[in-house]
Amino acid sequence: MIEGMQQQELKDRLNLIETMIAEGRQTTERWGWTFVLWGIAYYVAIAWSTWGHSNLAWPFTMIATSVVTAVVSTRQGGSTPETTMGRAIGAIWIGVGVSLFLICLCASIAGRIDVQTFIAVVAAMLGAANAASSIILKWRGQFICALVWWTAAALSCFGTVMQSSIIGLVAIFLCQIVFGSYMMLSEARERKANGTKSGAAHA
Amino acid sequence: MLPMPDAAADVTTDLPELNPIIHGKLRLALLSLLSTVEEAEFTWLRAKTGSTDGNLGAQLLKLEEAGYIAMEKKFVLRKPQTLYRMTETGRKALTDYVHALKQLLGSAINS
Repeated sequence: MIEGMQQQELKDRLNLIETMIAEGRQTTERWGWTFVLWGIAYYVAIAWSTWGHSNLAWPFTMIATSVVTAVVSTRQGGSTPETTMGRAIGAIWIGVGVSLFLICLCASIAGRIDVQTFIAVVAAMLGAANAASSIILKWRGQFICALVWWTAAALSCFGTVMQSSIIGLVAIFLCQIVFGSYMMLSEARERKANGTKSGAAHA
Repeated sequence: MLPMPDAAADVTTDLPELNPIIHGKLRLALLSLLSTVEEAEFTWLRAKTGSTDGNLGAQLLKLEEAGYIAMEKKFVLRKPQTLYRMTETGRKALTDYVHALKQLLGSAINS
């Protein structure tokens, strides 16, 4: 027979398990800054290659941004645990990033890519990465980004160099800068909300 | 209908015992947290449980000695990191603990 006090203690243990599982799942990773950083990097590379007429613009900017992303995410990695979901999303972005870098670098060295095709390929692949990530996270906001990228990819195939470039610049602004800033605000709000809650448990 | 004394005695003997290693509040919190992630750093566990370094280290050591969690030390950007993950034995022990807890609470409601 279980006494009233013991029963309460058992209920407390069950509540503790539920609370801690919810706490563990609530862990937010901070990736909003990467969207903004890469958005700025695209603008820098576009400006450098357009006005600086340098072949190094894209490879240099992309490699430098990859290094900054890797270093900063490794530094902040200690504060967030590794989850299967986190690794799945990371795998998508690393895969897409490497594919884009390789195809764009090789195609531009070979001189077999025009501006419209370049924008279409980049936009389509970024659309795919955003779509996959949004489906995993069940996040409609990111799926809208995927739709914007896909629309940009489709339109770029039919536009002139100037039209395709404007489409690309608008897509970068909406999907990288605006969406990234929105993510950073949401993450800050979530951290603030989590910070006010107590997950204290003592032996 | 009131239960017969013999039947009541049977119910009591059938009740499971709670695993004392897991039953500690902080150890239970740690196992529950680790069940939701692949691996987690010491500082993350400290932040989530709100416990002190000493107490947390001691409880993690007990769980490690029981084979419920595994610890790995590594260096990231020349900074030491202590990572913990739940083992299969730990996952089974936590599942069994929850079953036992529910069974005990169920018997309390029924009695």
